Amino acid sequence: MLIQAKNLRKSYNKRQIIKGINFEIHSNEILAVIGPNGAGKSTTLEMVIGLRKADVGEINYWVNNYKEKIGIQLQSFPFFVGLNSYENLMLFASFYKRKLTEKEVNEVLKMCGLYHLRKTDASKLSGGQQKRLAIAIALIHNPELIFLDEPTAALDPRARQEIHELIKHLHQQGKTVVFTSHDMAEVEKLATRIIMIDQGKIIAQGEPEKLCKTHNVLNLEELYLQLTKKGGN
Amino acid sequence: MFQVIFKSMLSTSIRDKITLFYSLAFPLMLMIGLGYYFNEDYQQLNIVTGIAAISTIFWGMQGIAFQVYVQRNKGVYKLLKLTPMPLFSFISIMVLARTFIGVIINVIVWLVGVFAFSIDVTFSAFLNTFLLMIAGTLCFTSIGFVISNLARNEAQINMFSNLIQLPMIFMSEAFYSLKNVPEWVVFIGKMLPFEHYVKALRGLILESHNTLLSGYSTLIIYLVLALCLSIITFKWDNDQERKKLKRSRLAS
Repeated sequence: MLIQAKNLRKSYNKRQIIKGINFEIHSNEILAVIGPNGAGKSTTLEMVIGLRKADVGEINYWVNNYKEKIGIQLQSFPFFVGLNSYENLMLFASFYKRKLTEKEVNEVLKMCGLYHLRKTDASKLSGGQQKRLAIAIALIHNPELIFLDEPTAALDPRARQEIHELIKHLHQQGKTVVFTSHDMAEVEKLATRIIMIDQGKIIAQGEPEKLCKTHNVLNLEELYLQLTKKGGN
Repeated sequence: MFQVIFKSMLSTSIRDKITLFYSLAFPLMLMIGLGYYFNEDYQQLNIVTGIAAISTIFWGMQGIAFQVYVQRNKGVYKLLKLTPMPLFSFISIMVLARTFIGVIINVIVWLVGVFAFSIDVTFSAFLNTFLLMIAGTLCFTSIGFVISNLARNEAQINMFSNLIQLPMIFMSEAFYSLKNVPEWVVFIGKMLPFEHYVKALRGLILESHNTLLSGYSTLIIYLVLALCLSIITFKWDNDQERKKLKRSRLAS
């Protein structure tokens, strides 16, 4: 087990957003965190990665220096203006106290399908390419655990497919991937386990197939509609 | 680590064409133009030191304000918070890199003026000017940092910069004498760092070192004040993103 979150609670303006969440992130799994907009997915993940502090509860990490072992792709494109893809990766590697060789950086660029764009200014890349560069930044320090926040949002089918392949490839390499998505077909295709959050609580968690069987539904989309409807959305 | 970050920050700063225009090309054009129109020796001396100081303020203040604003807007600081890299170390290296380029730009502007108008300068005056420009760039850069923290959008960066820069420039003796202006204008001018910076730059060429102490002390006081303010007002991400987040949470 890599991370254990116990009884996480968070409030904003006296309104409780996260209402006592418990979950674990296991080694070498692809975990999808799903739920309606405003359900508390991002807040939960932000607490886990250390961006926000929980009001109540605790998070236990498998190592003390967990920041060095986690790679994060945020929804924004955090690139340095005026630097190309290669330079951005070198710079971010240095933030993790890693001095990479040109070959190592090129390998990450190739893995993310950006090698031919290594000399292109990051701000001049297309939306899909910027998303891939954000993922490359998350991978540059060879992390054990990778958080991807809506990695395929607003991408065309080909770009989505490429990112799906990349996630599968990372999983095959023994990495743990946690991602958020609103696309249930994508979640069904990739995730080995899901956590469904609604109104600040976990309403379901487990393997997608088993969950569908238990709730007697055909697919994840039906399960999502059934459970979130029950939750009052 | 230091080397990679310093080199990257040099690259990103040197590729900032707009700031380069305002801190190098524009001051050079202004200096040459004014210098040939006002051809008395004392006027040309005022022009060279005044324009060199303007180059310092443009590079230091607006350059860093825009750079920090863009980086914050793109979520760079948010991501940086999740790495083992301490923000203070990153910002220190970024300021060092910008100061390095800023001082080179200032020296170029100053040297072009000195050679173009045949101003006599000793080697010691040149070295002292170089050191003073480092202090000036650091001071105005830290003020630029505060501006980037206070501004909510790019238009506000311009607004805040002008609000600070214009009184500093017009209430100083950079280009004209303040003998006949109201007392309060002179008083405000003397409270601001630009006036002391210009006078110290001029004093070094004239080898009158009595302006150097007030120059350094004012720059250091403003540097410390601005650094404290920038720490207090620092934001990891931009206001708009925070508001959007708040709205989506309230809506839920």
